[in-house]
Amino acid sequence: MDVVIALGMNGIVWGLIIALIALGLSIIFGLLDIINIAHGDFFMVGTVLAWFVLQTTGNYWLAFFIVPIIGFGIGALIEYSVIQPIKNAAALSIVATFGLSIILQESVRATYGAAPTRLVPPITGTIPMFGLEYEIYRLFAAAVSIFAIALFFGFLHRTKFGTWMRAVRFDPEMATAMGIPARKIYMVTFAIGFAMAALGGVVAAPITTVDFQGGVDILPFCFMAVIIGGLGNLEGTVAAAVMLAFFEGVMASFFDPTIARIGSLCLMSIVLLIRPHGIFAGATR
Amino acid sequence: MTPTKVHQLGIIALIVFTVAAPWVLPLFVDSFWVDIYSEMLIWSLLAASVNLLFGYVGLLSFGQALFFGMGMYGVAIGIAKMGLGFWPAFGFGTFLATAMAAVAGVFAVRLTWHYFAIITVVFSLIFYFTALSWKPLTGGDDGLPFSMPPIFTFGEDVKLSLTNTTIQYYFIALTVGLCYTLLAIVLRSPLGRAFRTVKENDMRASLIGLNVYLVRLTAFICAGFIAGVAGSLFAFFGRYASASYMFYHVSGEAVVWAIIGGVGTLLGPVVGTSLLIILREELSHVWEHYLLLVGSIVIIVVIFAPRGLGGLWHGLVNRLASRNDGTLDSSEETKL
Repeated sequence: MDVVIALGMNGIVWGLIIALIALGLSIIFGLLDIINIAHGDFFMVGTVLAWFVLQTTGNYWLAFFIVPIIGFGIGALIEYSVIQPIKNAAALSIVATFGLSIILQESVRATYGAAPTRLVPPITGTIPMFGLEYEIYRLFAAAVSIFAIALFFGFLHRTKFGTWMRAVRFDPEMATAMGIPARKIYMVTFAIGFAMAALGGVVAAPITTVDFQGGVDILPFCFMAVIIGGLGNLEGTVAAAVMLAFFEGVMASFFDPTIARIGSLCLMSIVLLIRPHGIFAGATR
Repeated sequence: MTPTKVHQLGIIALIVFTVAAPWVLPLFVDSFWVDIYSEMLIWSLLAASVNLLFGYVGLLSFGQALFFGMGMYGVAIGIAKMGLGFWPAFGFGTFLATAMAAVAGVFAVRLTWHYFAIITVVFSLIFYFTALSWKPLTGGDDGLPFSMPPIFTFGEDVKLSLTNTTIQYYFIALTVGLCYTLLAIVLRSPLGRAFRTVKENDMRASLIGLNVYLVRLTAFICAGFIAGVAGSLFAFFGRYASASYMFYHVSGEAVVWAIIGGVGTLLGPVVGTSLLIILREELSHVWEHYLLLVGSIVIIVVIFAPRGLGGLWHGLVNRLASRNDGTLDSSEETKL
């Protein structure tokens, strides 16, 4: 039973981190209509940047502030150079982001190297919870993710820029006609998406490994969260990410983790076929 | 010369080169290029199956590796576990891939656009993970090797087998050639026209009485068949099957080959596949991180030449022809 609780807890923590990353994927899809195959690699770049900050400054806490800012910058650059020119060929966006994914992975392999590294969490130690010793860093990771997600929703619903983002998503032409700088909104949205994935990387780096292929496993999971939650339904994405990770965590204590993964993939196909707008469709809009 | 003639000359040149390759290639380059050329031909079939869906029906599949993998496993399991001979194993691999495509297609082609791309990835991932965990049957990570049965035996002495490299080359070239011929025939038939109609405008296609769902499903099954033949051939070529060929990166590579070669042209995938494999073989020794170049090429092609090299070639030939004749040849129908 202890194992089930531990894996279930891990699942929820992991789900919150995934929710943060998948939220980035979801806003990029919802606003720019782009399936971002490179999103897992945005996460991976975050883990590598976190490692880099730790190497140069010796202080992991700095990474929580610096890496999202660098991620924002890279995201804006990518939007300007790659995404903007293909705005009119939506079908090819998958191919372009696949190329982007190759470039990101290979440039990390060229600079950081191919060997995976494990990072020591900045907080070590455990506290007793539900009859077992639980790592404090994991709880901290969950708290950071919740904070970042809340911050993002606050930004989206309480600021002028957030309102513009929602307006452009609702009707780009009308929004442009009313003087909203749609071009800038696209760029900022994509950059925020990158920054969120990169922050997810910083949060997750001490739990997983830093590896140039680290994004490959994350990507299907993020897509599952986005699809099951409903493409472009942001609250749904968060809920689905946590539910899925919890489900996989508990499944993994009874079966092989691969079987758990197959189970959630099957669930995702069923959702895609029966309710392509997600299981929460109708609840929010 | 009319554009049609130029294209016909190009095809004839390609056929002549393919037939002569085992003698011609070793004269200029190392003889292992013959092997690489057969590998290119096999992979180009996978790109052709992406092209059939995306270039002619307008469905971008990111999961064609699933059918490639099914073909591979069909052959490997057929030979190693069921003790089948060469032809039954080949048939089994192709059948497995086609049947898989039929089942997956029934669900997948209900969706279009992004949703279609995603569900094809999901299907391929499901079977990728299944193949990984079902070790007794598939060998999991290690793959499933097998020993090659003869193609044809007569008595004790006469034995035809792919262990002879020249026979292997011609077997692959002939099979790939047959597939392209078949594809060309289908694309010129009323069915091929239905494919293009659905791609241009599925609403109008259904208004003129086409069953859009059925047309898409047919295309999906054809594409699965082609990918399955490619997978079976690749299993014979490498003498093993492995789950890693079912991962979505392999599907992604096939999409890249098709896009760079030019979607919607019959031979574009061959060009794109050959080019990128040559790049890989030549550059990977010199520059470890040549993938940076591949990624950049993909993005540049998507931005500046979304119809790929095939599209550029057609544009060039048509422009030259119109300069000579003073008329623009716009016969899309004869495009190859």
